[in-house]
Amino acid sequence: MPKYLARRLGQSLLTVFLTLTTVFLLVRLAPGDPAAAYAGPTATTADLARIRGEFGLDQPLIQQYGIFLRDLLTGNLGTSYSFRAPALDVVLDRMPYTITLAVAAIAVTAVVAVPLGVWMARRADSKRELGANVLTITGQSMPDFWTGVMLLTVFAVLLPVLPASGFTSWSGLVLPTVTVAILQLALISRLVRREMTTALNSPYITVARSRGFSERALTWRYALGNSGVPLITAIGTRFAALLNGVVVVEVVFGWPGVGSLVVRALETRDYPLIQATVLVTATLAILVQLLVDLAYPLLDPRVRLGKAA
Amino acid sequence: MTTALRSAASSGAPSAGSGGRPSAVTARDLARATATRQRRGARFKLWAGTVCTALVVLPVALARVLPLPGADAQDLSERRLPPLSDGHLFGTDQLGRDLLSRVLHGGQVSLTVGILAVLVSGVIGIAAGAAAGFFGGWADTVVSRLLEAQLALPLLMMLLLVVALFGPSVTVITCVIAVAQWPEVARLTRSLVLVEREKPYVAAARVLGLRGWSVLGRHVIPNVVRPASLVVLLLLAQAVLLESALSFLGAGPQRPFATWGRIISDGQDYITTSWWLVTLPGLVIALLVVGVNLIGDGLRDRTRTARLPRGVRAPRTSRGARAGKGV
Amino acid sequence: MATDVSPLDGVPLLDVENLQIELITAHGVIRAVDGVSFTVGEGETVTLIGESGSGKSTTAMGVLRLLPEGLAVLSGSVRIAGRDVVADPRAARALRGRTVSLIPQDPMTALSPVHTIGRQLGDALRLRHPGLSRAETRERGTELLAQVHVPRPETRWKAYPHQFSGGMLQRVLIAVALAAEPRLLIADEPTSALDATVQAGVLDLLMELQEVEGIGMLMITHDLGVARVVSDRIHVMKEGRFVESGPAGTIVDRPAEPYTRALLAAVPRLGAWDEDGLTGAVAR
Repeated sequence: MPKYLARRLGQSLLTVFLTLTTVFLLVRLAPGDPAAAYAGPTATTADLARIRGEFGLDQPLIQQYGIFLRDLLTGNLGTSYSFRAPALDVVLDRMPYTITLAVAAIAVTAVVAVPLGVWMARRADSKRELGANVLTITGQSMPDFWTGVMLLTVFAVLLPVLPASGFTSWSGLVLPTVTVAILQLALISRLVRREMTTALNSPYITVARSRGFSERALTWRYALGNSGVPLITAIGTRFAALLNGVVVVEVVFGWPGVGSLVVRALETRDYPLIQATVLVTATLAILVQLLVDLAYPLLDPRVRLGKAA
Repeated sequence: MTTALRSAASSGAPSAGSGGRPSAVTARDLARATATRQRRGARFKLWAGTVCTALVVLPVALARVLPLPGADAQDLSERRLPPLSDGHLFGTDQLGRDLLSRVLHGGQVSLTVGILAVLVSGVIGIAAGAAAGFFGGWADTVVSRLLEAQLALPLLMMLLLVVALFGPSVTVITCVIAVAQWPEVARLTRSLVLVEREKPYVAAARVLGLRGWSVLGRHVIPNVVRPASLVVLLLLAQAVLLESALSFLGAGPQRPFATWGRIISDGQDYITTSWWLVTLPGLVIALLVVGVNLIGDGLRDRTRTARLPRGVRAPRTSRGARAGKGV
Repeated sequence: MATDVSPLDGVPLLDVENLQIELITAHGVIRAVDGVSFTVGEGETVTLIGESGSGKSTTAMGVLRLLPEGLAVLSGSVRIAGRDVVADPRAARALRGRTVSLIPQDPMTALSPVHTIGRQLGDALRLRHPGLSRAETRERGTELLAQVHVPRPETRWKAYPHQFSGGMLQRVLIAVALAAEPRLLIADEPTSALDATVQAGVLDLLMELQEVEGIGMLMITHDLGVARVVSDRIHVMKEGRFVESGPAGTIVDRPAEPYTRALLAAVPRLGAWDEDGLTGAVAR
């Protein structure tokens, strides 16, 4: 177990490192000049050269990379050009908002999707289930930015019951959460339906039914108990994806999370900020995946860490 | 098993002695049977999906032929006309351009990007997944690591970055979406090939002296392409959504026409006064994606129901064959 | 064991009459069971034998009403302790886990893999005796496990199914079936997934239990060797019908039908050692 954990952490570190390096190279190869974005349209060539020197962008790429690595070891990710503050701090300041939205969305999704999926599995192939099926497919098919704009228009503009943008009070969380949850709901409920259908058709369910168990006990105790691993995997993966920033939804709702931060950082070619965002979100996402993996043996006694994939 | 049961049914009814016991199956039983319902559900999904898809794809394909104003023809005297006003079924936008024409012409770009992206990701995914599954070893390690790494990456952000790097041309966006989607095809192909590899004909082909690559290319891949292609429709739906999201964030193709996401993004500022500028293009996207998803789902259901129904015994030939049966 | 139910005055424990089971599949309606009639009395073992696909397991599942409702259409009558489960599916639900228990075919897949043996056996016990405390449940369960010769049962209470061998799992499943204190056991190929040596032990156990408890048993098998050892009566099934019925000795020693003779001929092919091991174990 400690050996497995060490190996997994090592792999994760390598993944984060390679990702960071890729991003480091990509941003510098991309057209666009951070100095120009920083200095504004009135800057002279001399100004730009001075700013480049200040940012260390006048040095050869390999030297910049060396400095980046050296600073990385000391936990220094450079200073954000546009915020003029340590990039890591800027990202960490935004992180609570992204985490709040991700947790709220995943919680709403789980609370609705699991019972819905179970219901669909038990009523499999009935007309009502077909209706629910088509409805979830529809939810999955709407572009999330469009859903967001529509919800905004209805609930913040036409019937102004909820705030339109930003995070001023907890009610500001409702619309972004619903927007994210609609898409996740479809994915998770369909997965629950598939897993539960398989479980409910397993021999052990038929045998348990022969012992006189009620359908309710069969469904919730035995079938759902056996769907634990795929269910937690799916929810964990979705959660990790949400932590990477729900870019589109954050932009639509002006949500001050890392998703909208990324868009701004890309626009202003804020290299340190882009790198810091990637580092933080990738690390978090990998941590969540690791936690999910560690939960497997608790959900299924046959799984032993490090033995089977 | 089916044959055994079929023969039971056929020889059962009219043969010896008992003089043909009447069937107790009523029309109501038949209508309520799982097999009937599954078939009905799959048929409904296919039918509804085809209608939804055709409602979008046909007009988009015929955009040039239809009697519509040009997609970029501005008329500042006819700005933001509501839908159904003279000659403008979807109304006009803030520059007086016909919205329907813009949506249809933009749709040509959106659909082209989607279809090309799925083709590219299909080729990459099948090649990588097949190599990983067939050869194992380091090929498998590399592909599996890549699949894993992509799970951990902030996907949309990387896509935005690449588009910023190479510019928002149709080619770049197609490749970017393909890169986002190949893991799904690769993962499926890999698992299919892992099963296929163990079949006797592969060993036979090897004994005959065929080399690994030619066994894979000539025998294994043709056998997995069909099941793998089932995900293609679902990927097409995702590709259309992904392209519209990129366009919404300003990283979509600009030429020859603004795509759906861009049209919605442009209309966002006028949402309170001109609801149609956002609502209608969004509905068109949703209609297409619902249609494609329904067709994909229906096709999958149909292959599922073609198998033996649950609860009927599988033949006692192998342990594997027993996995899916009811008791 | 089943002392809380009044004895049946002359009514057989299981009375199947003209049972017909039709399966509605994607390929049309299949008649899996075509009008079979048989009875099982207290302390009696009746065997349905036939090759796979002959409808014998479908009969067993139909008797318990365990076939999916959207798949199977039953007609005729099946009376368990006098109650017709074909006419009234609710009766089947009330009888399952009380009057009648099932011993399933493949022990490896018949228990939930993520719940402990103790949990599953305990659930079955509490279903029959809702008032049992946790300690009492464990005590009764351990006794049951000992009764089916699971070695050191007190240490296995918290174990999971994958930690048992196939033969041990089948013993655990028999213990779970006995937790219901049934009067009728339906054993659906209880030994076909097991090794030959383990088979003998499980059959031995079933016969021992039957002798002690006086349970009626409906045995499903494709193995005439098994059928001869355990049965009072044998029904030979082919394509959903009985082609030959009679006392075990008669069917095995003087089969009238070519189909039965073919089944008999198949036994030595499976290996004489198999036979010897089996009879030896039963005689032990």
